[in-house]
Amino acid sequence: MTAIQQAALAKPERVEPREGMLDSPFVLKLAAGAALLIAWEAVVHAFAPAYVARPSGIARVFAEVVSDRRFLAAAWATLSAVVEGLLISIALGTAAGIAMGRVGTVERVLRYYVNSLFATPMVAILPLLTLWFGYNADARLATVVFAAFFSIAINACDGARSVPLEYLEVARSFRARPRYTLFDVVLPASLPYLLAGVRLAAGRALVGAVVAEFFISIPGLGYFILFNSRTFKHNEAFVAVIVLVAVGVGFEALVGWLTRRYLPWARRDEAAR
Amino acid sequence: MARRTRWLRHATVATSLALGAVVWEVAGHLTTGAFWAPLSATLGSAAELARGGVLLQQGASSLRLYVTGLLLAIAVGAPLGLLLARLPRLRVAFEDYIMMLYATPMVALIPFILSLLGFGFTPKALVVFLFAVFPVLYNTVEGARSIRPELVEVARAFRSNEWELWRDVMIPYTLPFTMTGIRQAIARGLVGMVAAEFFLSPSGLGQMIMMGSQNFDTAGMLAAILVIVLIGVALMDFGRYLENRFAAWRGYTR
Repeated sequence: MTAIQQAALAKPERVEPREGMLDSPFVLKLAAGAALLIAWEAVVHAFAPAYVARPSGIARVFAEVVSDRRFLAAAWATLSAVVEGLLISIALGTAAGIAMGRVGTVERVLRYYVNSLFATPMVAILPLLTLWFGYNADARLATVVFAAFFSIAINACDGARSVPLEYLEVARSFRARPRYTLFDVVLPASLPYLLAGVRLAAGRALVGAVVAEFFISIPGLGYFILFNSRTFKHNEAFVAVIVLVAVGVGFEALVGWLTRRYLPWARRDEAAR
Repeated sequence: MARRTRWLRHATVATSLALGAVVWEVAGHLTTGAFWAPLSATLGSAAELARGGVLLQQGASSLRLYVTGLLLAIAVGAPLGLLLARLPRLRVAFEDYIMMLYATPMVALIPFILSLLGFGFTPKALVVFLFAVFPVLYNTVEGARSIRPELVEVARAFRSNEWELWRDVMIPYTLPFTMTGIRQAIARGLVGMVAAEFFLSPSGLGQMIMMGSQNFDTAGMLAAILVIVLIGVALMDFGRYLENRFAAWRGYTR
């Protein structure tokens, strides 16, 4: 064996990891999840009072809470308010945003209002909304709409503005009527932006609904959490948090899937706002 | 001609703002005081609060809370994200959980924090921190995920040591993504700040809004909201500036 062969056979300084258990993403994720749960359990066990939520406690009460009729009613109240508010915001926000994106005057008239209300934390106007709508479900719906509307409008506006000029020129050279230009060119072209806006809006809408329930004390997941944590039933309260997380993640996944499935030409980071 | 259209544009914006002010004023006079207060009353109330030093004091209290939480979030989120950038296995293991926490409505945790930590500055700063940390972490990890392995290989081929690898590849590559995260954190942190001031011990601008609404002092409430809106707009612009400042670094690798 020559020296050169020996050198070639010698181990390189950095050994590439061999394919094995630890290279399967699934195993890694499972292990990380287990580690997080164990760490949570251990920390609560060691440092916190007995009533604090911990994985074993949540697992014990989970089935009972989820089948409780009051819990289901609360979940339904919150989620239907979020969906209703989102639908209203999508309808109004798309219309406002596309008008802003395509018509300069509308954009200049609304610009400062939309931008500054988008930057306003929805919590800050809660007292105002309760003054207007009363301490009831309407105020919650209004909070959800306020939380969701502006991010949709701003993204729809960006989308409508970024419609490639060539598309519009083609539409014009075929003498397309304005409504066909709107529904067949502008709207589809701004969909990726719109979806990014809806994704952002969904998260904000969820926060809005929960925060409104804290403030107004009307039945819903937020109030369920508030009530149970006040009576030191943290495990029960945390089940509601899990539902909220599941809805948030589920919606994120749904929008991501819709974008990949129906708008594969949209580049992800282009529409991130 | 061009000058004329530009002038017309400014005129549209100015007219719209003036119209908004008029509508605000008139609406205040047409409705009862419990619904809405005229712009003049709101500004008067704001001036009075500013003269008495209340506004400055409460604003400073809010800002201290906000800045503490936000800086902590950046100090934890960005290095942790970078670390996950360097350790791909850990990144794969944890990225789904980070995404999950990123999508979690953190307000839902406020009642737990209240009953565990009670009142005071720490639990409120914790709320701001929780609102702000996951956008930073999530976006940094997203950036880390998109580092091209070739870049690391080239650096290795040129015998970069660990420190040089971080300085020349990892940090410049992930920083623009971190900045996107910081922009989101700036906005979310503000929501967290007001939520903490509402639902934990009342303080700062949140307390001013609450007191205004409880005393039916609508002008005072609107003045406090207006201050928060202005702070929000300024912070939003600052965040966007930060993001654009570093966006050029993203280069052609998208």
